[in-house]
Amino acid sequence: MRRLLLLLVCLVSVAARAQEELENPGVVLAVQDRTYRMNSELDIAFTVLPLDAFTKGIGGQISYTYHFSDSIAWQIGRFDYNYNVATGLRTQLQRDFGVNPTAFAQTNWIAGSDFMWTPIYGKFAWLNSSVAHFEIYGLLGLSVANQRISNDIAAGTTSTTFAPGLDFGIGWRFYISKTVSLRLEVTDNVLFSSRGVQNIMVLLLGVSFNFGSTE
Amino acid sequence: MRRSDVRATLALVLALLSGLALAQGQPAAPPAPQGPPAPAATPQGAPAARTAPAPAAPAPAAPGAPAAQPAAGATPAAAQVAAEKADQKLFDEALQDYFGDKKESAARKLFAYVEGTPPTDENHPWAQYFLARCFIDLGLRHAGAVYLSKVARERANPQVLPRTLEALRTLILVPHDEVLIDEQVFGSLDLGFLPESVSDYANYEQGIVDLRVGNERWANTHFAKLDEESVEASRAKFALLVTRLRKLQGKEVPDEMIEDFLTLSKDDKLTLEARNEARLAVARLRYERKDFEGALKAYEMVQLPSLDPGRATLYLEEAWTRYNLGQLRAAMGLLTTLDAPSFRDQFLPDKYILRALVYRDLCHYLPAKRAAKELTRRYAESLDAIREREDLTLDDRLRRAASSHGSTKRAAKFLESLSLEIEFKARYAGGFGDRLFSQVSKLYDLAYAEGERVYRQRIKESVREEADKLLRAAEQVRLMEYEVGLKLYERIKRGAKLVQPEKETPIGPGQEAFRFDGEYWNDELRSYRVSLPSRCVEEGQL
Repeated sequence: MRRLLLLLVCLVSVAARAQEELENPGVVLAVQDRTYRMNSELDIAFTVLPLDAFTKGIGGQISYTYHFSDSIAWQIGRFDYNYNVATGLRTQLQRDFGVNPTAFAQTNWIAGSDFMWTPIYGKFAWLNSSVAHFEIYGLLGLSVANQRISNDIAAGTTSTTFAPGLDFGIGWRFYISKTVSLRLEVTDNVLFSSRGVQNIMVLLLGVSFNFGSTE
Repeated sequence: MRRSDVRATLALVLALLSGLALAQGQPAAPPAPQGPPAPAATPQGAPAARTAPAPAAPAPAAPGAPAAQPAAGATPAAAQVAAEKADQKLFDEALQDYFGDKKESAARKLFAYVEGTPPTDENHPWAQYFLARCFIDLGLRHAGAVYLSKVARERANPQVLPRTLEALRTLILVPHDEVLIDEQVFGSLDLGFLPESVSDYANYEQGIVDLRVGNERWANTHFAKLDEESVEASRAKFALLVTRLRKLQGKEVPDEMIEDFLTLSKDDKLTLEARNEARLAVARLRYERKDFEGALKAYEMVQLPSLDPGRATLYLEEAWTRYNLGQLRAAMGLLTTLDAPSFRDQFLPDKYILRALVYRDLCHYLPAKRAAKELTRRYAESLDAIREREDLTLDDRLRRAASSHGSTKRAAKFLESLSLEIEFKARYAGGFGDRLFSQVSKLYDLAYAEGERVYRQRIKESVREEADKLLRAAEQVRLMEYEVGLKLYERIKRGAKLVQPEKETPIGPGQEAFRFDGEYWNDELRSYRVSLPSRCVEEGQL
């Protein structure tokens, strides 16, 4: 009985679809030339490393991306230099519990290269008076971070070390003009070092300049 | 140096400069847009006011501003002197109010001055001019136009004329009384005395008036005087071409005429709208000659401002062109455009016929029948009104269609603007005072009555044309229904198979496709593409 009911429901929906197709045949698409297309992109950005409880990294990143097509690009190189700011927790640990300042590892810079995939290109209406365009992209690549770590906490000696790893992220690009766009991005660098696996999240807000449009 | 010292020095320098300019016979400068009239009088009576208004920052003396009367003691008759003094004071106060942004008070005083002085008074035309400016600034454009027209027709003071004509030229850009401004002012001005800035426009207008009455030779004499590089010269060429085209009346259109329209469509001196008109003219002429490829190229040349929905007729004509080129799906895309809210109220009976034709050609007979019937369903009331021989101007759809183009549209717009101004006018009942308010009311009542008469006369004609269009479309629908009915019940022969589906143009690398789900975006209106399979069958081998 159940099977019969299921079959009936399926048949009704197929019949309704066929009827609709009969009455309103065809599919309508709005096919438009892409207003904004990227080619060679230079990005200058402000970055924040928010995850570390003891230090927050504030820095600037510069990157260059080459777009092979509207959806595939290679962020050939990026370099993010950080200025580390001690958090209240770290200050408290140092002041109240006598923890040596060198005990806290901190990221000096991160460099890397990524594959960029842009599957979403869209537009939205601004106050019903203008149309703005955006795209959403994903990033997957390799990173290397330079970190200051403690050699001997008691002695207070430090050294720098390189931690290689992978990074992935998601970004949103808002087009201002054919040559200028804004990028808002969140990436996570999964770094492998002798101290184990680390996650360094980077928040980025940047201005991109597009050279040599593909049009 | 203190601030007050700077002002005093500045005022002195400006007064000297204006005096020098007058002595050298410089053309009159436009009046200062803000600030009070000039405080100092020059010997030849150029500045505006005799009494210094002593405001915080005195404006420079406008060399072409209203002339002050000679010194009081110079007039022989004492009574006349007293009257003139009173008038002058009123005029000066009115100007102070005008530049002090007290337009209502200025209008009241200027009206009193105009009423109290003869037209021969030197400042009478200035008072009329400033009264008109007050009206325009207060949103009473028609009242302003009436007084500006008076100044232009009377021409009592040659210094006022250029500014008056310039102001009138601005007014013709918005709905206005065509008889009052176009015909009675620009159409009948003595061109010998006109400044260069307006002579081209006056020549153009007079040529247009001649063209309207069918005298192309006289029109050409006016157009020949136009500066080749002027906007008016391009507009005149357009008007001449349209007139010649009308005269052809179904005869073969010469190639040169199409070329001339094409040249005009690239003329940057014309407005975008006029250039688009020229492109449409090229497209229509090519369509008439069955050069559909050429027509399509011309339609594609039509440029629309960003996010402008464009005109329904443009899309419909392009759809017909594409249909004739066999681009059925592209034609269907344009018909989708015509369903957009921007065009929902447009009177386009052809739209339904064309949709039915496309469906029929792709053997979608039921949708074809439905599309055709949609016309009779949508316009049922109008069709009934036509059959019952009712007053068609009372039918909403037909009236709206008739008022949407040509001279009827202009008359409707003018009537609409008059209604708005009549509403505005009520705000100034207190500020204007009884005399001015009753004068303005009388003026608007007369204009409205005349505007309504003109509108009624024009709509009567154009509503009949729209009704004819609808009747022809309804006739086509009946034929279509009959034809589709036959096809619906046609027997399919054995061995028949569906025709090979037409290869659809793929979406290119630089293109984006947004699936249409009923939400219209103005930037997409020219980009719809319909994927519609053919259901036609080919006769197979028996």
